[in-house]
Amino acid sequence: MNIIEIKGLKKDYPLGATIVPALRGVDLEVGEGDFMSIIGPSGSGKTTLLNIIGCIDFATSGLVSVGGREITALNDRQITDIRLNKIGFIFQTFNLIPVLDVLENIEFPLLLMKRSAAEARKRAEKLVEEVGLKEYAAHRPAELSGGQRQRVAIARALVTNPDIVLADEPTANLDSVTGASILELMRRMNEIEKTTFIFSTHDANVLKYARRIVKIKDGLIEKEPVAA
Amino acid sequence: MKLILTIAWRNILRHKGKSLVIGVILFTGAFLMTVGNGVIAGMARGVEKNIIDGFMGDIVLMSDEQKSDNILLNMMGGSIEPVYTYKAIKEVLRAQPYVQKWLPAGKNLAMILNENDATPMALYLIGADLTAYREMFPDNFTVIEGTYPARAGRALLLPGFQRGEIYNYSNTWFMSETGGVVKEHLKKEALEELAALRVSSSIVLMGMASGINSTTDIRFPINGVIKYGALDQIFGHFAIVDLESYRECLGYLTAADMAAQVPQEEKKLLGLEGASLDSLFGEDMLAEAPKAAPVRAAAAPAAVSAEDGVYNVVFIKLKPGVNSGDALRRLNAALTAAGAKVRAVPWNKASGPIGGMALIIGGALFVFVMLLFSVAVIIIVNTLTMSALERAPELGMMRAVGAQKPFIAGMFLGETAILSSLFGGLGIALGVLAVRVIPLLKISTNNDMLQLLYGGNIFSPILSLSAIALTILQLAAVTVIAALYPMRVAARVTPLDAVTRD
Repeated sequence: MNIIEIKGLKKDYPLGATIVPALRGVDLEVGEGDFMSIIGPSGSGKTTLLNIIGCIDFATSGLVSVGGREITALNDRQITDIRLNKIGFIFQTFNLIPVLDVLENIEFPLLLMKRSAAEARKRAEKLVEEVGLKEYAAHRPAELSGGQRQRVAIARALVTNPDIVLADEPTANLDSVTGASILELMRRMNEIEKTTFIFSTHDANVLKYARRIVKIKDGLIEKEPVAA
Repeated sequence: MKLILTIAWRNILRHKGKSLVIGVILFTGAFLMTVGNGVIAGMARGVEKNIIDGFMGDIVLMSDEQKSDNILLNMMGGSIEPVYTYKAIKEVLRAQPYVQKWLPAGKNLAMILNENDATPMALYLIGADLTAYREMFPDNFTVIEGTYPARAGRALLLPGFQRGEIYNYSNTWFMSETGGVVKEHLKKEALEELAALRVSSSIVLMGMASGINSTTDIRFPINGVIKYGALDQIFGHFAIVDLESYRECLGYLTAADMAAQVPQEEKKLLGLEGASLDSLFGEDMLAEAPKAAPVRAAAAPAAVSAEDGVYNVVFIKLKPGVNSGDALRRLNAALTAAGAKVRAVPWNKASGPIGGMALIIGGALFVFVMLLFSVAVIIIVNTLTMSALERAPELGMMRAVGAQKPFIAGMFLGETAILSSLFGGLGIALGVLAVRVIPLLKISTNNDMLQLLYGGNIFSPILSLSAIALTILQLAAVTVIAALYPMRVAARVTPLDAVTRD
């Protein structure tokens, strides 16, 4: 069963009087539980594609369905609800809330969902253990290394049991060893939580972790699928 | 809510510098607003208390013919119209359950005739039954020389302030009949020329009232010299005289005049006042006289009291807790129904420029405080907006992981609200403390304008619970207004900002 279905997706960015096409008509289907990598050079459109799938950017034209729901016609409140309930994000620069500690950062989406504080804390504690940061639970992001912060971001992305986790260049700011451990972790979480992972990268070393690879170039999917 | 407040509080601690700037502004604004409200309230209450309790009561009745409501410090020539219907008024007042007490009085201007040279001065007179006056306004002045008139008859209490003014103008120092010259009260210039000082224990007054063609020069003995307890430089223009002398001085018919037996023919003539003069010589005049004789014989002369005579105003005090607006409406309706030909006017209108000045000063203070808060709002808006823009990636990330716009806006409102509560609360608390401490310092003034601001001779700002509540509301309004634009800016941050601003 496909959790994401994209048909004829186009995205243009106006640059003064010029229109710069970022996606020129992407068709893509992603199955439930996939661990998929989108690869391509800088400016190829992979971040734009992830942003549109993640409901943080909007298509110029085409259809995008996430978890069986067409998202292109939804209003801001509905789109935000989808982000909260169905999607987890892992950003390149970790993007944690600086004034909250590790546990609080992880439980943040659950509290937005109006889950009880006790339930949120229990789930956050489970995840912080799974990502190996139990002893850092009370630390603020500024007190963690890059790799540790990304682990926190992974835990936060998974805390709501989303249908999909999107990660845009999750290893870009990490050294190779740490990057590898993060990908190992993502893969393990994919197996444990059965969550669909889609991550973008332009690092060839990352590819060995992906079960499915989608190559994008100049706004079009070039080669798909490639078995891992 | 807890989550919003937690993040807001930690952000305040994280951005200590900015928080402190906003906090100091809020503290200053709240402090000044609290003290300002205290000053305004103290001034309003002081003026109200001094005028109501000490000078004219809550409501003043005046003739329907009276053009201006201001009967306190009306200009020269603007005399107060006479009221002829006190007996009817009295019956109306007796029937009003909200009226505590009242005092009918005369109030007009008189000339001080200078016996040594030809330049007269003016003095306001309040003519009243002096016993009733003291009962109505028991604490409004102190007799500093002489005594309060205990006996009936011609009497005058001269305000010390006006005595000084008269001395400046006429070189004559007035003293009480019994007190002599009290050196401590002499003006410095008078003291320096003590040997040559011209003194007098009586004063010649000539009433000035419109519509009266004849007034009388009256020599008043000065029974006492008085000092008003508050606003002495304003009330100090008013001398208090006995009612009959007042009427005589102003050329009004006195009770004694009315009690005199007037032959019926003369009454008839008086009754023709204003009619055609030809009728005086008509046949009916001559023919009526014999017919009138049996009537005169049959009717006993009616008892005439001071209440039958002319007044200018009736000062009314309401019972405590009575709504003055409501009382005013009911009283006016009752007076109209009784055909009393007077209208009831609230004290603040009847006191004219004093009430007006108090309002103007109060308004100016309010505008000042509002101006201060406007500046505070601008600075807070600017600081918070900068903060929202600087934190765009963080806010965008929150939006990306599912925070709705109201959550982001609430976070900013929460930050401002916490700062307002802490610093504004501290400002209000210290303001309340200052308002409590200031009266203990007994800061006094003799300046007219400052007396208005102080609400009396001593600076006594006050703060009621409602005034504190008003300050809190104003602070809350400032908080919300100051947070509105930054909230809007913060809520407009998109999840994409979390990615693109990296």
